Amino acid sequence: MAFSSMAFLFGFLPLCLLCCFLMPARLRTGRNAVLLLFSLFFYAWGGLRLLPVLLTSCLATWAAGLLAAPGRKRRKAALLAALVLELGMLGYFKYTGFLLGNLKALGLDVPVPAIVLPAGISFFIFQAVSYLTDVYRGTVPPEKSLFRLTLYMAFFPQLLQGPIVRYGDFAPALTDRRENSADAAAGAVRFCFGLAKKVLLADALGQIADGAFAAGDRLTVALAWLGAIAYTLQLYFDFSGYTDMALGLGRVFGFCLPENFNYPYVSRSAAEFWRRWHITLSFWFRDYVYIPLGGNRCSKGRQVCNLLAVWLLTGLWHGSAWNFVLWGLYYALLLMGERFLWGQALDRLPAALRHLYALFLITMGWVLFRCTSLAQVGEMVSALFGFAPGGAWSGEALYDLCQFRWELLAAIPAALPVKNWLQGRLAAKRARGSRTAALALALAPKALAVLLLGLSAVRLLSSTFRSFLYFQF
Amino acid sequence: MGKMLDRAFLAVLLAVLLAVPGWVALRSHRETTAYYENRTLAERPALTWTSLADGSFGSAFESWYSDHFPGRATLLKMDTKVQMDVLKRPVVNDTVVTERALLPFMAYEEQSPEEYARQAADIAEDLGELDAHIRANGGSFYYVGIPEQRVYFGEQYPGFLASHAGEYQTADDAFAAALAGQNVRFLDMRQVYEDLGNPAEYYSAVDHHYNYYGAYAAYRAILDTMAADGWQLPVLTEEDLDFVELPNPYIGSRNRKLYNLWPNGEKAVMGVQKAPVAFTRTDNGQPSEKPLFVLPAAADLPTTYNLYMGGDFGETVLETGRPELPDALIFGDSFTNALETLLYASFDETRILDLRHYTDKSLKDYVAEYRPDLVLCVQNDTFYYTTTGNGAVWASFP
Repeated sequence: MAFSSMAFLFGFLPLCLLCCFLMPARLRTGRNAVLLLFSLFFYAWGGLRLLPVLLTSCLATWAAGLLAAPGRKRRKAALLAALVLELGMLGYFKYTGFLLGNLKALGLDVPVPAIVLPAGISFFIFQAVSYLTDVYRGTVPPEKSLFRLTLYMAFFPQLLQGPIVRYGDFAPALTDRRENSADAAAGAVRFCFGLAKKVLLADALGQIADGAFAAGDRLTVALAWLGAIAYTLQLYFDFSGYTDMALGLGRVFGFCLPENFNYPYVSRSAAEFWRRWHITLSFWFRDYVYIPLGGNRCSKGRQVCNLLAVWLLTGLWHGSAWNFVLWGLYYALLLMGERFLWGQALDRLPAALRHLYALFLITMGWVLFRCTSLAQVGEMVSALFGFAPGGAWSGEALYDLCQFRWELLAAIPAALPVKNWLQGRLAAKRARGSRTAALALALAPKALAVLLLGLSAVRLLSSTFRSFLYFQF
Repeated sequence: MGKMLDRAFLAVLLAVLLAVPGWVALRSHRETTAYYENRTLAERPALTWTSLADGSFGSAFESWYSDHFPGRATLLKMDTKVQMDVLKRPVVNDTVVTERALLPFMAYEEQSPEEYARQAADIAEDLGELDAHIRANGGSFYYVGIPEQRVYFGEQYPGFLASHAGEYQTADDAFAAALAGQNVRFLDMRQVYEDLGNPAEYYSAVDHHYNYYGAYAAYRAILDTMAADGWQLPVLTEEDLDFVELPNPYIGSRNRKLYNLWPNGEKAVMGVQKAPVAFTRTDNGQPSEKPLFVLPAAADLPTTYNLYMGGDFGETVLETGRPELPDALIFGDSFTNALETLLYASFDETRILDLRHYTDKSLKDYVAEYRPDLVLCVQNDTFYYTTTGNGAVWASFP
């Protein structure tokens, strides 16, 4: 079930809120049970046949956690067995088709099965791996309750697209959280803003990107740039919108989920971008792959190998196709370049140039990410550099600019920390005794949230339902 | 105050979120169609193990729930108004909003001339077979091609949108050449209208059809063509008709997609015969009392192109009881409807088929059974390359 569906907004969500909050707060287990039941229902809505994959992962993680805790015999074997099972499931569902497809392309006579990918598998498997590793390392105690561990793995706000939550951050709220109206209101506001990012901005910008990336012989330089920029914005509003909704919902139910985005397009380098984009995934790879491989505390050659390994895996995590591998290696090269070659020179450039540098490289990266074949990568990159089959300009580009001008205009301030700046200014005025500023801070976000919810609902009604981009991961 | 405000905000949100399922549960059965979208609303899906297992229940439920959202039509109408008048989008609900006409938004892809030539040859071969079959049954065949509104008003498209003017010309030329290769008599109304200077009043600004003046021009061109071939048929001249403008608001198919919000004063016109040619009518095998022009019950009720003959029927038969005149068979799309109100007056019996709806027998069997003297295929040019419905001229269906 997608957050931006009518069934979720006007069916699942109010029902879940009622069931959860009609239960007395002292019955913490009862509220958790409601959340777990609704989470499993939320997942099963996309197809009951995929529920066993999630439940198997939860059960295996719970059992292996108990066996891999410090002090247990053969705990390393338990950890390895569980990791093989978890990553084996991920590999089977996500990479079998890719692997066999490539073998077939090499001339081997192998059938390529059509395997349905369980939604969110990359996210809940990564949570399982982080939990098991943390338990093995002794940084968190093993969870004795299968019920609580399943809620950690399947908690519906973050089940399908993250953020990737560490058990150590989540567990205290399972027993000690205190829901209150201030948090719930702030969470609801954030949810509505996230919904609007997805429905009002990302889906509209996606239409520009879809047209440009499917243009083929009609592709012009202008259309290629417009498509690349639109996709860059679409991806951000789609994914960060979902994250806002997830964090907002989490807050309504009393959980503080980790931030996943911090205005990534204000970055001044590729390295900074990855500290601001999909933060929980970056930290996951840092803590569970990069540092165990030796991280920075090793020779330059080893660091290069570590970076290549991490970014190859990051690419493959996003999708089982060669363009994702290419995209991962692209960032590996950029990060190595910034670390070993041009990083110091970059630091000496004016800030504006560094922003341009980062934005250009990020946009190029998303082009690799969005293309469906290496041939298309070649076509798009050529067009971006002036070699387009349709020439420099086309009516199609002008149509996109006219048709989606409001979304393009709104997208720029929405991708920048304008909201934070405004809130800061108003807070400063309020501190100086301004009643208007106090009223604006209290009322404006809520009024805007209600308006955005209404506009999003109308837009959802008038458009075909679109699933979130990150469902495929 | 902050706590109160938070609680009030949460209460409002929860009330809104809960009101929707309540409304849907109580009222969803009341509406079954969406008039402005010209479609049936989704039905509540049946809950089965299969649909639950593969997730199809979820997507079907979403469609049903969205379709029965409280005040859906009103909200969409407001949204259309905002998109069109406030945000000034050039394309709203897949409709291009221009100063003078509403046109469909067309994708930018184009088909190659070679592909058109190949398809035209295949289609013309079927039409050639039909032509020979009609001749063998004692009749004559005419193919009448009429430009669709988007072609007629093609120059109204803003420069940055795809009007496909060149592509349509290529497609029409390939089609005409292929028909000529099969010796099929082809009346290209696009050329006729061009020769007349493409008068704006011939076509609707808000509908994909021509209006009655355009239909009348086509009628005259058809009879002129037949007369040139030696047919002596009675003709309804302009003096024989009163062109009456209906007072009712006219909802065209294009404006219907915009909830009829595009401002225009267009009215439907009908050609009332001063000395009407009497007829009896049969629709789909059943005697019908429907007149040539089916008027709304009151002057303030809207009318549509369905005014002409009451819309599309699989089979309509009009008998005028004048055995001295030839019999005709007309088949084609809805462009025939306005023409039928004129053409029947030139024949003893006029049989009209719309092969999108008529399924009793194939066209070739129909011709063999009724042996009409004249067979007219009337298609708009966007259907030239269609091989189903009225394009399935040589199919053996059923």
